[in-house]
Amino acid sequence: MLLWLTLALSGLSVLLLLAAGWYAARDRLIDDVLLGASAVLVVGLVVQLVRGLTVMGAITDASERATFVAYLVTLPFVPVATAFLAIKEKSRWSMGALAVGAFGVFVMVVRIQQIWELHV
Amino acid sequence: MSDDEPTTDAGPTSTAGGPAASGSGPGRILVAVYALLALAATGRSVMQIALSFDRAPLAYILSAVAAVIYVVATVALVRGDRTSVRVATVAITIELVGVVTVGVASYVDTAAFPDKTVWSHFGSGYGYVPLVLPVLGLLWLRRVRAERAREDLSA
Repeated sequence: MLLWLTLALSGLSVLLLLAAGWYAARDRLIDDVLLGASAVLVVGLVVQLVRGLTVMGAITDASERATFVAYLVTLPFVPVATAFLAIKEKSRWSMGALAVGAFGVFVMVVRIQQIWELHV
Repeated sequence: MSDDEPTTDAGPTSTAGGPAASGSGPGRILVAVYALLALAATGRSVMQIALSFDRAPLAYILSAVAAVIYVVATVALVRGDRTSVRVATVAITIELVGVVTVGVASYVDTAAFPDKTVWSHFGSGYGYVPLVLPVLGLLWLRRVRAERAREDLSA
């Protein structure tokens, strides 16, 4: 996989995680900045999905390849779902949902890179 | 954490059951974590069963069961009406029993659990979240029920 894309996506998800924590501490609700960051993250994850699908043939182990694809396909939905949860919740807990999603994205993006490096 | 009153802003966001809806306030985080685990567990178990079922049928069936329970718990927490809270309580109780049982079994009978599944080794593959989550879930649901009982008294 593209290492720079993994780095960018994991960096962005960590930023989103930190921002959500900051907003929760200040008791602020989701705004255009966080929505925008989530949207950028989704776009990046879609780019990663397309890129991943074009190169997945290089992974020889069938079950590792399946895991790889499953992560790729799942990822773009996560920030969308947590942003939706956050919009519906009008309290500081909304940031928790966003933070959980961002953390999940971080873990899965790193896992994708790991599968790629171990099985190509 | 428990000092925060989630009741202040429940207004239009809560669907049923008023201020103490199980899917709002701190419950929102619970829903997010459950949804994520449901996703991860479903994906993994579908793949394990489809690609290499013969390797460890017991472990893979159990992880499929886990996936179903996570999905049920997620949906029930989001819905949050009286029946759903009951369903969520049952699902999460089964989850707690399951993660402890499978956790012990995976250490005792390593041959039956060659791969990591959601519940094997007490969920160590998932940062022990599967072990902690049902405890938090049951505590939260207990609070939701207690708040509802109070509302019923005052109503």
